[in-house]
Amino acid sequence: MAVNPAGLLDLSLADGVELTQLIDEPGAHISRRIYGNDEIFELEQDRIFRRAWNFLGHVSELPNPGDYVTRDLAGEPVVLIRGDDGEIRAFLNSCRHRGMRVCRADRDNVSYMRCVYHGWSYSRSGDLVTAFAEELYDPGRLRKEELGLIPVTQVAIYRGVIFGTWDAEAPPLEEYLGDMRFYLDLFLGRTDGGTEVVGAPQVWDVSTDWKFCADNFTGDNFHLYTAHGSVVDLGMLPPDPMSLSYGYLVRAQGGHVLHLVPGPPDPSFEYFGLPRDLVPQFERNLDSVQLGLLKDHAWSVGTVFPNLSFMQVMVQGDIGGPNVTFLSLRAWMPTSATTTRVFSYLLLDRDAPEQFRRDSYEAYVRTFGPSGIFEQDDMENWEDCTRVNKGKIAQRHGLHHGMGLHLEPDPSFPGPGQAWPGSYGERTQLSFYGEWLKWMTHERPWAS
Amino acid sequence: MSETTTAAELLPVGSDDYSRAALFLYREAQLLDDARFEDWLETLHDELVYEMPVRQSVMPKDGTGFVDGMTFLTETRNSLLTRVRRLQTEQAWAEQPGSRTRHLVANVLVERGAAEGELNVTSAFLVTRTRADLPYDFFSGERRDVLARDGERLLLKRRQILFDQTVMKSYNLSIFL
Repeated sequence: MAVNPAGLLDLSLADGVELTQLIDEPGAHISRRIYGNDEIFELEQDRIFRRAWNFLGHVSELPNPGDYVTRDLAGEPVVLIRGDDGEIRAFLNSCRHRGMRVCRADRDNVSYMRCVYHGWSYSRSGDLVTAFAEELYDPGRLRKEELGLIPVTQVAIYRGVIFGTWDAEAPPLEEYLGDMRFYLDLFLGRTDGGTEVVGAPQVWDVSTDWKFCADNFTGDNFHLYTAHGSVVDLGMLPPDPMSLSYGYLVRAQGGHVLHLVPGPPDPSFEYFGLPRDLVPQFERNLDSVQLGLLKDHAWSVGTVFPNLSFMQVMVQGDIGGPNVTFLSLRAWMPTSATTTRVFSYLLLDRDAPEQFRRDSYEAYVRTFGPSGIFEQDDMENWEDCTRVNKGKIAQRHGLHHGMGLHLEPDPSFPGPGQAWPGSYGERTQLSFYGEWLKWMTHERPWAS
Repeated sequence: MSETTTAAELLPVGSDDYSRAALFLYREAQLLDDARFEDWLETLHDELVYEMPVRQSVMPKDGTGFVDGMTFLTETRNSLLTRVRRLQTEQAWAEQPGSRTRHLVANVLVERGAAEGELNVTSAFLVTRTRADLPYDFFSGERRDVLARDGERLLLKRRQILFDQTVMKSYNLSIFL
């Protein structure tokens, strides 16, 4: 990456437009050119996804030594494997001999990662153990100790969630997450046993620029009453379109964002509707500020920059059914400028009671994922936005992101970061795009 | 129908119960393709269990890859009723304008079920979906159904949809399989 003395990367696109012209955070305008654009996609891979801490998986997907799952990291195949020492490691899933993937299932348990092409075999720790016909190499030519699988440059775990980055310069994960950890702990760190993945992720392909998914999950609460109007019509959301407008939009350090939305004044909406049996654990694991925020809110959606989103929301899975909360993680993996592979996980607190586990699972599958009565309408919007914004005429005109900008951060909000009052507004979207621009233009985006 | 079902236990093609089961599936396909969802709901048993497990790509030693405990659909009659009611609102954008589907059902095998009056029916399905000017989506797999006799009619009491894809190559599942 070319860098100028001010620590800025090369800003020019092929047609002479500069990246800094694409995002006007103070003016609340976003250029349509950032979507569905091959040049931008390549720059994002280079400047965001090969540098940022990316979601890779969850420790509960790999309970035993030898368990592996295969994933992508910045568009390249990686394998996560638990070693005999219990450590989870991540490697480029590519044999050092011809480049073949050494792990080809979505999941397995293996003694060795053995390439099916010529038989080079790697230990669960990634070391090359055997090549084929080693006696046919000149002495000293096959230096196996230098031919282990290429490790993901940094791998770290936060509250059970596994992250990786290809950048040796990236700060430690905890620093990257910064004070977003305070909020992530409301969902991932509130119980003694932490969370676990239920089954496996739902995975599906959507013809959208990944940024529309992340944008929506920055805490776009005001799309509910139009995009999800069907669910309002069914009586599964309160009829007043302003009834979910309360709460906060929060920007933590590093451009990580979320919203926190209170439920109606009914005790069943306290603690996000989580099982009351777990409250003593919340009291043990959270500080008093976190505990207060957990008690006072019912819905939260947010995004860890760049593309890991989460939601803890109460929904009705079917007409007449109870409101039940679920916790989902989703990774929006860009596969091209116009396509995204979605990984959607349901997480449960390991200590959650049996009936709640069943109810939460049903609520999640019925409302989110490709068949969900909420989410199926989201893809309708994201795909259409991606198609239309590619137009050269359309691109002459920016997109308006100006809701709620007159509001000042509330100094009395007890959590870290900036919190704007009310959950209808575009502060979190603008924060996301501001962060995007910083990563697209700065040599050291995490430092500025 | 289980893996241990023998050929001798399969009801002959053209036998009374076989024909009833096949007719149920063909009529259901027509109801779904014609978007006659209210009529389709009438074919569902009150105790219906309707599931479509998530699948992963695994080595043969690990079986078929269907995931224990996670699905793309986990439905009851009431949740399917909810989906139909949703389509009847004027804001179900994923289906407004609507999908055009073709449910093709083949390889129908029928055996007597565990309970009196029940039939276990397996079939292969290929569902095509197109919408607006979008290219075709294909959904293929196996259905494992239990049909229960209710007077003169059969009702769908259980459906397991064994989907062929591990990564759903469709942007949504706003149709019924």
